[in-house]
Amino acid sequence: MIRALRQFAIVLGIALLPALVSGAIQLKWNAEVPPKKDEVTIAMVHNNWSDHVLWVDARTRAKYDHAHIPDAVLLNEDEWNSLVAKFLDAWDPDVPVVVYCDGGSCDASHAIAERMRSELKIEKVYVLKGGWGAWSGK
Amino acid sequence: MRTIRLLSLLALSLSLLGARADAELKWDHPIQEFHRVPEDKEIYAHYTFKNVGAAPVTIKTVRSSCGCTTAHLDKKTFAPGEAGEIVLHFSFGDRKGLYRKGVSITTDDKPSEPFVINLLVDIHDPVTMTPALVYWKKGDPAEAKSVQFTVEPTKEVHIKSVTSSNPRLAAKLETTKAGEQYAISVKPTDTAQKESAEISVQTDFPSDAPRAYTIHARIK
Repeated sequence: MIRALRQFAIVLGIALLPALVSGAIQLKWNAEVPPKKDEVTIAMVHNNWSDHVLWVDARTRAKYDHAHIPDAVLLNEDEWNSLVAKFLDAWDPDVPVVVYCDGGSCDASHAIAERMRSELKIEKVYVLKGGWGAWSGK
Repeated sequence: MRTIRLLSLLALSLSLLGARADAELKWDHPIQEFHRVPEDKEIYAHYTFKNVGAAPVTIKTVRSSCGCTTAHLDKKTFAPGEAGEIVLHFSFGDRKGLYRKGVSITTDDKPSEPFVINLLVDIHDPVTMTPALVYWKKGDPAEAKSVQFTVEPTKEVHIKSVTSSNPRLAAKLETTKAGEQYAISVKPTDTAQKESAEISVQTDFPSDAPRAYTIHARIK
């Protein structure tokens, strides 16, 4: 019986090996995906602007109320009309704006950044790669 | 020996990670497109499907890329031949323009191959007002800045009034072509200190609930 279990373990190991190798390659691949043209990382915010940016939280109000980057301003598309004035009060034309949402498949930060560019004609707008997850996990 | 063969078979089965070829959901209209106006406020889109395989299928996860889109599913497991539907609810909030919302669905027959249903919504506004922000830096010349209000050719929208919340940032309406093209000129009294104003542009469109657009003016 012990011999049988040993052989089973060997066969199981052989079967799982390709999956583990594939997983490792995929993780490495994801880790090395460079930021898109309008994206920045936390390291870039620190190195390029000494953390002197206006953070904009594009998530829902409930998530913002629960936790957000210090001094971040809430601006999402659910409440754009009522929140945009407060964002503009905090905005400084000489300071870059960095928008974040949940990260992963979340597209709200890109939508908000695009709306700032197209409607408000604000040029120095970037999106935080990895979003809230990148900040909270740093 | 028989035990070893059985265990080996089990290991091989595990390595295939549940790729069952005898179960499948067939979707009727996995991509749906809607054209709406902001006043519609929301959409409910029904995505129907049928289990065309020979084994039951269980929906394991339904993930949306946006908090504005939620999915409702009455039940999770569907017998062979059974039909079902997922209802997507998209709340517009203050969105305008074209939106593509994907919802990723995984089933127990293909756990590593999510199927994506797509919702395309064009929230259409016949008015374009650009830019919605005019600003000056302190000490800049106190020159007027212009905002263009343009109506698409198939519609006619008239501006009824233009009102600034701050008299130090005055707004003046100029009609280029009534119902089609206007310019709103915003001029600060001076730029010595920080100021802010919200300028309300009241229209007659749509007739049952006329919209007001906002121009933001700032001295920074």
